[in-house]
Amino acid sequence: MIMNNWFKSTLFLKIILLLSLFVILVIGGLTFRHISNLTSSTEVVVKTYKVNLELEQIISYLRDAESGYRNYIVTKDTFYIESYLNAHKKVNNSFLNLRNLIKVNSEQQENLKILNKLTDSLFSSFAESKVFVKNDETNTETFKTLFFKEKVIIDSIRRQSMVMFQLENKLLNERQKEFQSDLKFTPLFFYVVLLIMLLLIIIAYTKISNDLKNIKAKNDQLLIFKESTNQSEIIGKHGNWVWHIDSDKYVYSDNLYRLLGEEPQSFEATFDNFLKFVHPDDVDKFAEELDKMIDEEELPFTNYRIIQKNGSIKYLKAFAKSFYGDDGQKILLGNTSDVTDEIENILTLEEQNLELEQNNKELSAFNYAASHDLQEPLRKILTFISRLEEKESDKFSDTGQQYLEHIKAAASRMRLLIDDLLQFSRTNKPDKEFVNADLNELFENAKQDLTEIISEKKAQIKIATLPKATVIDFQIQQLFLNLLSNSLKYSKEETAPIIKIYYSKVEADKEPSLYKAPQSHYHKITFTDNGIGFDQKYAKKIFDLFNRLHNKQDYSGTGIGLSICKKIIQNHKGFIFANGEINVGSVFTIYLPVN
Amino acid sequence: MKLFLKFDFNTLSKKVLESKLDEQNLEYKILGFGEIELIKKLTPEDYDALQSSLHDYGIEIVESQKSILVQKIKDMIINMVFNENIDLKVKSSVYLSKNIGHSYGYLSNLFSEMTYSSIGNFIIIQKIEYVKHLILNTELNLTEIAFKLNYSSVAHLSTQFKNATGITPSAFQRIIFKRRKLAKQKTK
Amino acid sequence: MQKDYIYIILADDDEDDILFFTDAFDELKINTKVNSFKDGEELMNYLNKDNALMPNVLFLDLNMPKKTGIECLAEIKASQKMSDIAIAIYSTSASDDDIEKTFVLGANIYIKKPSDFKKLKKVLSEVVAINWQYHTNALNKDNFLLRL
Repeated sequence: MIMNNWFKSTLFLKIILLLSLFVILVIGGLTFRHISNLTSSTEVVVKTYKVNLELEQIISYLRDAESGYRNYIVTKDTFYIESYLNAHKKVNNSFLNLRNLIKVNSEQQENLKILNKLTDSLFSSFAESKVFVKNDETNTETFKTLFFKEKVIIDSIRRQSMVMFQLENKLLNERQKEFQSDLKFTPLFFYVVLLIMLLLIIIAYTKISNDLKNIKAKNDQLLIFKESTNQSEIIGKHGNWVWHIDSDKYVYSDNLYRLLGEEPQSFEATFDNFLKFVHPDDVDKFAEELDKMIDEEELPFTNYRIIQKNGSIKYLKAFAKSFYGDDGQKILLGNTSDVTDEIENILTLEEQNLELEQNNKELSAFNYAASHDLQEPLRKILTFISRLEEKESDKFSDTGQQYLEHIKAAASRMRLLIDDLLQFSRTNKPDKEFVNADLNELFENAKQDLTEIISEKKAQIKIATLPKATVIDFQIQQLFLNLLSNSLKYSKEETAPIIKIYYSKVEADKEPSLYKAPQSHYHKITFTDNGIGFDQKYAKKIFDLFNRLHNKQDYSGTGIGLSICKKIIQNHKGFIFANGEINVGSVFTIYLPVN
Repeated sequence: MKLFLKFDFNTLSKKVLESKLDEQNLEYKILGFGEIELIKKLTPEDYDALQSSLHDYGIEIVESQKSILVQKIKDMIINMVFNENIDLKVKSSVYLSKNIGHSYGYLSNLFSEMTYSSIGNFIIIQKIEYVKHLILNTELNLTEIAFKLNYSSVAHLSTQFKNATGITPSAFQRIIFKRRKLAKQKTK
Repeated sequence: MQKDYIYIILADDDEDDILFFTDAFDELKINTKVNSFKDGEELMNYLNKDNALMPNVLFLDLNMPKKTGIECLAEIKASQKMSDIAIAIYSTSASDDDIEKTFVLGANIYIKKPSDFKKLKKVLSEVVAINWQYHTNALNKDNFLLRL
């Protein structure tokens, strides 16, 4: 991974280049050294052979001299002395040459000096002997000794030259050995370096080719992107524009023209030309906001209207951000979109909303008025019935009294219904005031309203400490009242009702029943009782308006109480759930959002 | 502008009494709330004059023994409730009979006969009055008031208050405060 | 001169309610005198007359033609001579909010008209009794609030 990144960096290429140069220099240097070594080596060999040649030549010349001398001795012809003299000269030449050749080597110089002395002594001996030959005294003992001495000298010369020869060869061998090792090393080194070079070249090539591929791909992407931007502008109904502030030049995208209802690039992109399309009422604001956008980095949208040539009014929304270009010039990049559809939708929605609200208000008023006005005649009926009961019941026959009872029962039931309906319509009132209330207080108030029935049934009510919360206080009190009154009403016969209320603050994502709840935390209040309970399959239905699970003979009730509870909970954006088990009891769980 | 007044009826009635008695140049000693001792016995004319002048101020000369006793019971109860120093833990029945000197049963019957309402009821009325006074004129909260008046709990106090007046103490406070606010606004 | 009866006035536009009301007081053993008016204007005309006898307790219905109960309430609270009257709002129903509003505007008592005659008698006798207690014990009438 790291290698990859490193590979991709442009620094990498530079490093490869430097390495290559370095390697080339190294190779150059080494090659140069190698060649000069070779040259030296060759020189040394040549020198050695020259030396050897000279030495051989000396020997040969000496032989010539010797043979000339011998010939002279034999023939006594002075003609042969010439060759001897020549030889002498040549020998001296050779010595000169040798001296030059072995200038560097002190040991060899010593050897040469010895050789020189020997040859000199040989030639002087020859010169001596010549006299003898001239005088024809070759048989004398001194001549024989001299002759023998010459032989010894020649042997010595030969030996000495052999020594020099060997030394020369030894030196040569040594040098050769040196060069040999160099030589052996060089090709290997050369091949290795060559391989490295090759490797470097391959790597460099790979990278360059990759980079090229990338650039091409990016280029392709850019082309596609440009095309899709164009398309998106058309589909999304927006256009881009650029304002080079300093040079006061504008660039409008094709679609910006289309937004104005014109052909792309059909007029010169200037501020004034654009302004011609802006609605006269919005012109000032538009210009002002645009000015603001230059100074600030970013501004919220500006909304304005334009009138196309065909007279249709469009709503546009523009937004711009200022940038500094590469050359340090300030430019404003903007985007303008046609939001006519959205605005028109919103207007339509608002209209519909108003209508709905109006309807709701009327319905509410009707509901309330109906319930309220129905109470009057009903009250009269009931009061007169009670008067009859009190004052005239003895004048009724048994049937008459029974009928009276039934009328009373029916009228009472109607009163209950109207009371509950009235309550229901009150929970629907649009003007709801939320206050920070102590739920314990509200509960106490509700409990107090039920004092009689609580003591009558000997009910026990245990309540946990409830928090303070922002609620519609009278509605929550009603909620508590309804739930409590239900628990008391639907208690088991011969069993004192035990009602327990629990509280905890919970997190929405930890409560399974709060799936997809909008708030994060809720107050959870649980009402449990030991009453007759209900079949869990009705758990949702019992909150329906007018829904009852019992006959009105068995348990009185209007079926509105729990609907009121549900409505109240809805007003608070909370949740209510019912759980029941027949003959065990009921559990009502309410969740109120914590805000 | 509107001013809010508090009345100390004891002092008020005493002052009126004194001024009226002084007007008629009577010599007197005020023995307690509702009791004066005249040094000299009054002539019928003086008596009538005194009675009529006091009547203008709502002060009646109580005639019958029974009325006197009932008045005493009332005064005792008022004292018991409103006076800070009295230990309310003492049962009212004991307190009354001890201080007035009759059996509680007798006092109770007498009270009911004369006022058509019971001593217990009267005590409750007075207590509630005092609670109202404390709610409106002091910074005490309901718990403190309940404690002061020897209720077993705030709930007990609230229940009795609600039973007597039909509204909760907090509603009462709210209503009176709103009334005052409204009155203030009217005078602006 | 102290009168020995309790003077009660009812202002209500409903004949039946007036009938119930007067019958109830007839059957109660309290010494009362009951007067009734059919609408708010009649009531105020009576009360504003010089020398008109002020009632101890005034029962005021809210929904009356010509002048509503609330309007009468405002006028009565503003009047010096009517300051001693205990005002009882006598109405069909109302929410807690509305009831509180009438108290704030100066009513002393709020009564929801019961649908049972026996209950009506009980309520009326309670009102009279408590009012009398206030009167005889010189309790602070400004704090006199009662809801039945």
